[in-house]
Amino acid sequence: MSGLSAEVPDLVCARCDKPLEMRKVEASYLGQTFPVELPCCPSCGFVYVSEELASGRMLKVEQALEDK
Amino acid sequence: MNGPVRLSFGRTRSVCPECLKTIPAERVAIGDTVYLDKTCPEHGRVVTPVWRGLRSYDIWSRSRRNTASPVTVATVVAEGCPRDCGLCADHRQQSCCVLIDVTSRCDLVCPVCFASADRHGVDMPIDEIATTLDALRAGSGQVHVQLSGGEPTVRDDLPEIVALVRAKGFDFVQLNTNGIRIGREPNYLAALADAGLDCVFLQFDGVSDAVYRRLRGRDLFAAKRLAIESARAAGIGVVLVPTLVPGVNTDEIGAIVDFAKGEMPTVRAVHFQPVSYFGRCPEAPHDEDRITLPEVMQALIEHSQGTIRLEDFSPGSAENPFCSFSGRFTVDPSGLFVADPEPVSGGCCGSAAGEAAAEGSCCGTASGRSPEVARAQRYVAGQWKSALSDETPASGLEAFDAFLERQGRRLSLSAMAFQDAWTLDLDRLRQCYIHVAKSDGRAIPFCAYNLTDLDGRSLYREPST
Repeated sequence: MSGLSAEVPDLVCARCDKPLEMRKVEASYLGQTFPVELPCCPSCGFVYVSEELASGRMLKVEQALEDK
Repeated sequence: MNGPVRLSFGRTRSVCPECLKTIPAERVAIGDTVYLDKTCPEHGRVVTPVWRGLRSYDIWSRSRRNTASPVTVATVVAEGCPRDCGLCADHRQQSCCVLIDVTSRCDLVCPVCFASADRHGVDMPIDEIATTLDALRAGSGQVHVQLSGGEPTVRDDLPEIVALVRAKGFDFVQLNTNGIRIGREPNYLAALADAGLDCVFLQFDGVSDAVYRRLRGRDLFAAKRLAIESARAAGIGVVLVPTLVPGVNTDEIGAIVDFAKGEMPTVRAVHFQPVSYFGRCPEAPHDEDRITLPEVMQALIEHSQGTIRLEDFSPGSAENPFCSFSGRFTVDPSGLFVADPEPVSGGCCGSAAGEAAAEGSCCGTASGRSPEVARAQRYVAGQWKSALSDETPASGLEAFDAFLERQGRRLSLSAMAFQDAWTLDLDRLRQCYIHVAKSDGRAIPFCAYNLTDLDGRSLYREPST
């Protein structure tokens, strides 16, 4: 499983019980917006951020913005 | 000094270079140069250039003065500045970066040395380092720690010391080094990186061996290249730190910047230090032996082919403005600088509310820490640490990767003017935020710690042997 690839990961929304789909979303932090593709629930819009992403490049981006 | 028009820019206090007695001083402009003019009743008058360039002096003098009371007052005001350091209640800034001299030994014996270090010094025992760190943490809170000396890398247990600094809860550790050992032994730097080192503060005086022979007594340029190579392999950011001496390497300022560009993203910044005359200096300096901050800025501007302007540099915001300048730039694909300034904080918390904030109480951080010092620490941590991204490219996340890649194309150009017995302005010293930690809990402002009189006698630094 990978939250970092374009293919739809084998994940299901816990609330809607629907498979997540890769969708374009906007990640915003400290006034900066990043258009990225992440697994989303087609029903409720829940966006899944994997631990790998959250503690990897997303954390690096956050830290860089905080350091400004 | 008779004849030309003298403009007074205010009175301050300084010391006599011969006896270090505290004496009145005046900042005066003659022509385009600002001098510190002072007279010792016993040893006479001394007039020393401190700022060559009235245009920038005007800008720097109008910048905001951010001051704060020390987190902890460790010493009693008795004899007066600069003899009660520790910090005392009269100090007007908190610790930002704190040096710990882990050894007084050095594997170079440079003609120019702050510390008058040599091969026969002593190491601070590791339990004393632990005590010093505990006292620092209790007294000053979250500060950046710079391991200094002497040459810290003469110690085989330096990785343990770095790990100890981390274990005591400090977030940012930098190593002040001549680079010889880390270049020769990449595994030694890798061990320092594994222990939690963030940044190598690399003595880097020029791009020709002639400079190193004059300043350090031997050819070292190849050793500097190796040090940067080791840092690249270890994923550690490097700050090039040239000590600028007129007639020796001031004509290499542009070449140093070009070299830094070529070594990005491992090299994150160039931090110039105009020579100051304490420690090991052969004789009383002449005016032509000094280069002042605006002259460094002017050299950078002239070298940049019009891509850097004076307006791209800012005065220090936590330290006294006249102690430093800094500018941040992105290097575009053709190798030219594009100004990439830090967002202006607008004072307290970046809002107009700052106008009403009282000294030292802005935003009232829970620990009583100065927000300006905290901001300076964030800037340094962000700009001086490695910007290398080890993420493999991933479809859909290009926006994150492009942002991170841009970080690696940023270069900071800055300088700090340390004060010696001739240039010391106690108004500046009281705002100093670079301190030296002692095991008894004192934090001594850097320029007070290194201050020596004409005969090399020090107020604070113990002899190295």
